[in-house]
Amino acid sequence: MAALEARPPFTPPFRERLSSNPIVLKEMRGRMRGNRAFLVILAYLTLMSLFALLVYVAYTLAVNQNAYDASLQIAGKVVFGSVVGIELFLVCFIAPAFTAGAISGEREHQTYELLRTTLVPARSLVLGKLTSALSFMVLLLFLGLPVQSLAFLLGGVAPEEILISLAILLSTALASGASGIFFSALMRRTLGASVLTYAFALVIMIGIPALTLFVFWIATTFSVFNNSLPPLAQNLVLYLVIYVLWALVSLNPLAAGFMTEVSLMSGYGNAFIFVPPYGSGPINGPTAILLPWVPYVAICLFFSMIMVLFSIQIVRRREHA
Amino acid sequence: MTPIIEIKDLYKRYGKLTAVNGLSLTVETGGIFGFVGPNGAGKTTTMRVLTTLMSPTSGEAYVAGYSVTKNPREVRRAIGYMPDFFGVYDDMTVWEYLDFFGACYEIPEAKRISINRDLLELVDLSHRRDDRVEGLSRGMKQRLALARTLAHDPQVLILDEPASGLDPRARIEIRELLVELAKMGKTIFFSTHILADVAEICTDVGIVEAGKLVAVGKLEEMQRRLMPHRRIHITMLGQLEEAQAMLAGVEGVTNIETEGEELAVMDRRKLTVEYDGDDTGVSAILSRLVTLGIPVVHFTEDVRDMEEVFMRATQGIVS
Repeated sequence: MAALEARPPFTPPFRERLSSNPIVLKEMRGRMRGNRAFLVILAYLTLMSLFALLVYVAYTLAVNQNAYDASLQIAGKVVFGSVVGIELFLVCFIAPAFTAGAISGEREHQTYELLRTTLVPARSLVLGKLTSALSFMVLLLFLGLPVQSLAFLLGGVAPEEILISLAILLSTALASGASGIFFSALMRRTLGASVLTYAFALVIMIGIPALTLFVFWIATTFSVFNNSLPPLAQNLVLYLVIYVLWALVSLNPLAAGFMTEVSLMSGYGNAFIFVPPYGSGPINGPTAILLPWVPYVAICLFFSMIMVLFSIQIVRRREHA
Repeated sequence: MTPIIEIKDLYKRYGKLTAVNGLSLTVETGGIFGFVGPNGAGKTTTMRVLTTLMSPTSGEAYVAGYSVTKNPREVRRAIGYMPDFFGVYDDMTVWEYLDFFGACYEIPEAKRISINRDLLELVDLSHRRDDRVEGLSRGMKQRLALARTLAHDPQVLILDEPASGLDPRARIEIRELLVELAKMGKTIFFSTHILADVAEICTDVGIVEAGKLVAVGKLEEMQRRLMPHRRIHITMLGQLEEAQAMLAGVEGVTNIETEGEELAVMDRRKLTVEYDGDDTGVSAILSRLVTLGIPVVHFTEDVRDMEEVFMRATQGIVS
């Protein structure tokens, strides 16, 4: 008996814990019930297909009526890039819709306290909500593959481009979902959580590019790029501006994806780009910087982890005086 | 009897407002404990501390021997909590609702099937198992909520206003269910405004006002403590003065009043006696009246109900 009591509690493996998490099962069952999920999928695929078709038609009409192989390959790239772009946009705005009401909705339905008095720990509640929302997002992304594959028929899309786009899409879905979960845990009402989540998404999708353009405008206005400064200062300021712009680009999925594609088309590797030496100063050799998709994915993963940990803390916290 | 709930010098403050003010309480295993008090008295706050939803400002509470602050998971395993509202998942059937909460209590899937079936039978909802929860009547929802609290076979049921807003039939059904559950060995700790329910089913009562426990114990003991004078009504056919003289000499009689002058025309006279004594003393009074040859036609004692006890115990203070 003593030996039995001394034995540490059995902890099932992570995969088993996830599949036995009642929150995941309930959410998935609820999400796929009725025609709501079907309508979301239908709308998503219709929008994407129409967009891909529109881009293809517009491109072929603009280039040449008698398209040759090279232009078909470029058309393939354009269609692929456009489809990934719209997928990114949708992921940024659909994922929060699935998670912004995840915890606050339980409060509104007066089921939050019922759950908190069961044996479901705070981390299972948060991870269960996030997992079920992300599962649906992953389903949408995989359902979008046939539309993406139209580009494969035209050629010009390399396997690494597909993998990089998938990494950007999945990490964006994770980060968007995690931000929704965080605001949902923080706010008592779903309306407030949704407003904050979408405001945050807008800052990332519109605010960051606007800031990038502003920095670029400042740099050109103050003649950073045309040797108007002393050589040493020119050298430092130039690299500083490049790094700041590159960092800002790495915070936005569309910009990160676009700049990565531009770098890949310019013949750089999959992970690094080399900035040539410029002027005389402390930085006087080719400088390797990561392609934006690498820091973007890393930032998304780190951000998601922080958001999830904060959410768990908020849910775990009991009412204090 | 061992205590299953122990609250020691519990305080809960929200800024300047003290919701629970040094409350100490012990609930024995196996009984039905009625937690009574006016709105804002601190009943729900106390229950939220007991259910680990809220941390006390100071003091400690134990359920089934576990501290609510140090061992919340063990406490949750030991309790079934029903708040004063019904949490609804719109898209769930009755069976799914029970099954989901069963899973939340880590009951293996294979066991849940038989447990859910038994619970639905207990609360008489087997015929509604495939219906949506939102389509149930309030009484049915309340019974389903009670079934949910039993999913993991807890030792203690903590129920906040379980009969609130129910029609008379549903209220009686819930009351009968609580008695049935107590017979099954569950300890029931419930708050209510319906004093008739307390008088009907509770083995023990705690009256709370302005965050303080103003009275606690068995209902009869409480009645005796709060209302020490028993009121006896005696109706007789004449010989009023002899009866008064005899009663004045009885130890424990504190007041004698004549009443019902209109009865005199029917040759009936009525006395109201306030007496501080036990049942044996009351019986002795009747016996002496009969021995003296006083023609007693009616001898009865006022029933002191829960409402009177409640009014005596509380002063109408709201925190």
